[in-house]
Amino acid sequence: MAKYMSMEHLRYVLFDVMEGEQLFKFERFQDHDKDSMNIFFDSIKDFSDQELYPCFREMDEQPAHYDNGKIVVHPALEKILPQTGELGLVAAPFDYEDGGLQMPLTFHTAAMFIAEAANNNVPGYPGLTGGAANLIATFGSKVLKEQYVPNMLTQEWGGTMCLTEPQAGSSLSDITTTATPSENGSYKIKGQKIFISGGDHEYSSNIIHLVLARIDGAPAGTKGISLFVVPKKRINGDTLENNDVLTAGDFQKMGQRGYCTTHLVFGENDDCQGWLLGEANFGLKYMFQMMNGARIAVGRSGVAISTAAYYASLQYANERPQGRRLTNTGQKDLSQGQTLIINHPDVRRMLFLQKAVAEGSLALMLQTALYHDLHMVSEGAEKEKYYFLEELLTPILKTYPAEMGQTSVSNGLQILGGYGFCSEFVLQQYHRDIRIMSLYEGTTGIQSLDLLGRKVTMKGGKAMMLIGQEMGATINEANTYDELKPYAKKLSEQMHLTTKVVGFLTGFAQKGEFERFLSDATLFMDFFGTIVLGWQWLKLATAAKKALVTGDKTQTEEFFESQIHTMKFFFKYEIPKTAGLAQSMMDTEVLTLKEEKELIL
Amino acid sequence: MKFLVCVSKTPETTAKIAFSGDGSQFETSGVNYIMNPYDEWYALVRALELKELHGGSVTIINVGPASNDAVIRKGLAIGADNALRVNAEPNSSLYIAKQIAEHAKTENYDVIFCGKESIDYNGSEVGAMVAELLDLPFISFANHLDLEGNLATVSRDIEGGIEVAEVETPIVVSAAKGMAEQRIPNMRGIMMAKRKPLSVVEPFDFADLSVPVHFQLPPEKGGCVYVDGENMDELVRLLHQEAKVI
Repeated sequence: MAKYMSMEHLRYVLFDVMEGEQLFKFERFQDHDKDSMNIFFDSIKDFSDQELYPCFREMDEQPAHYDNGKIVVHPALEKILPQTGELGLVAAPFDYEDGGLQMPLTFHTAAMFIAEAANNNVPGYPGLTGGAANLIATFGSKVLKEQYVPNMLTQEWGGTMCLTEPQAGSSLSDITTTATPSENGSYKIKGQKIFISGGDHEYSSNIIHLVLARIDGAPAGTKGISLFVVPKKRINGDTLENNDVLTAGDFQKMGQRGYCTTHLVFGENDDCQGWLLGEANFGLKYMFQMMNGARIAVGRSGVAISTAAYYASLQYANERPQGRRLTNTGQKDLSQGQTLIINHPDVRRMLFLQKAVAEGSLALMLQTALYHDLHMVSEGAEKEKYYFLEELLTPILKTYPAEMGQTSVSNGLQILGGYGFCSEFVLQQYHRDIRIMSLYEGTTGIQSLDLLGRKVTMKGGKAMMLIGQEMGATINEANTYDELKPYAKKLSEQMHLTTKVVGFLTGFAQKGEFERFLSDATLFMDFFGTIVLGWQWLKLATAAKKALVTGDKTQTEEFFESQIHTMKFFFKYEIPKTAGLAQSMMDTEVLTLKEEKELIL
Repeated sequence: MKFLVCVSKTPETTAKIAFSGDGSQFETSGVNYIMNPYDEWYALVRALELKELHGGSVTIINVGPASNDAVIRKGLAIGADNALRVNAEPNSSLYIAKQIAEHAKTENYDVIFCGKESIDYNGSEVGAMVAELLDLPFISFANHLDLEGNLATVSRDIEGGIEVAEVETPIVVSAAKGMAEQRIPNMRGIMMAKRKPLSVVEPFDFADLSVPVHFQLPPEKGGCVYVDGENMDELVRLLHQEAKVI
């Protein structure tokens, strides 16, 4: 079987770099330990090897589709979906009292990453089920929790989030789905939702939709949006009966074709019942709790796909002979046989880029999840600190692995030459699959507005100050090793540049020029995301250097040397890009603001 | 019925095997360990299936240091009821077999399972030695085992067919592919395993008869040579002068 991820690298980042074991000292997570987590990871890897990876290509070749009022998905899901519940992939992070296992998100994310690298069509099903169940568990009444959560945690029932409507995507204030109070305490739901991932299929006996809708007479805009539990089949005593949720069609996509995307119609026959979750008009606030988890999950998908693509390219580069190395005379020695393409510098550059993006993003993913867990279990000032750090990193995690993941996978495809463009090889599938990650759960533009417009400025720049302290701690540790000092200095310089750029941009906000302030938010995301990855790479390399120096080695010497070398690659080839981005952002010339005369012709 | 499953810890199948400079030690840096697949997938799972059919208990035994506990816990997570670790650093199959036999001789197990071999040393010795030490029947490389009262029906592949044997318990069986299908432990089982008994006992006093002196890797395989399809002369030259096969 082809390699699609590295358990060694995952364990290295999780235990040696992030010191994930620190979480087990907290009461919430005290029933877990390193051994049990490693057994769980091995279980997920076995499951992924045996069930997920073998049907990855088939799910693309035989995509989910709409047929006669139903969504038809790959038949392997009949076995796979219950297994995701049985293994604990849905229930893992939930509270014991809700039937969960109180696993830290850091470790749950690592487990889902394994499955997603094997087959990115599948984890969205249990992932959304868990997200929907989490909202019910958090905001639902005792009755709603008892009715829905247990069957969702086993994945016997699926779950979705229904936000987008034909006329309202990024702008949710414009949704028109209505909820009319009924005498029995439920609401009559009426409206249409599109782009609903996992919205319908035959391998869940019920699907629980969490639907944003407006209660009759609610205020306009986002303040009038409520959240409803709307099952495909409603509970009537011991039986399930249809709840007037119609699947009107599906969306055929360029990638992730095994993961169904549906168009749902609620209340076509005026018989769709929904139950209010939490308080009226707080729906968007509740949904954003799920959205944060979903954004971390999308970032995880980008990491997983770029990782799988890296190993596919690496295998090809190690097997494909082509051309000869240049000799010191500048000529090729034609008497020599062809060399493997991994020996050509430009191919090596592309492979290092793939590795730098994939492994650096994995570190960012686990770092963000670790801040989430520490926020959950800490108290007082520490709790606030981790909240700000998680809030700041979440849009970056959502974006960097998606955007740079595309570049990374594209380079991976390039390594295969013409074969990369052919369906016989998997790179083209990864290339198509990863494209959605910069669109799901808020596009890159939306994430960038969130980062610069909200996260950088919140509480007077507190999050930026805290991330600066975290980077400073890494720089101090790196400075204890001569080999790493030049890179610690470079990161320090990048922090100063960040201060300069943020100061320049926020100046517009202070003057009330908000559109100008945010007009280059996506450039800022690219700029700051690259610096954050540089920080993560310095952290990875410092842990590797420490292991080599102390002899306390969990991995081979080559593994640690590879980490340090890839860090150097990132600082040589990626970090310098920030200078150009900073120059563009601080240029006083304004070219993208809408003016009276339209020049985009 | 009482079942005993002998398990060993082995390097993962993809682990890069290396030795210290003088060849006296196995280089453990970067090596991840697993339960020997023949012990886990076939021996342990068939023992659990038989327990589910006939009742009783499944005990895991391992002879090794405390670092083996993670592997033992995986066995408990899969479904074994309890486990015993003989706290030792064994150097030979005979030492391991002696320790297992010493434990088993008073426990009246109906079936003692082990995998057909461990995937590190590939010795296939422990099961036979345990049987001999306990004076029990031994059937190796079994790929099917049914129990009816104290009568066991055991099958194994032989050259050109299948051999079926009937034997009265207690017996020792080494399990091969086909005996059962792997069970992947779930997180709830993994957490419950922490509450199952794992006893640690000091080894029975037995002077090991052998000590490994030196390890070495097999010679590296030569690289693949690609010859242009139009260049038959070069192919003939290589086969004649370098491969020396014509």
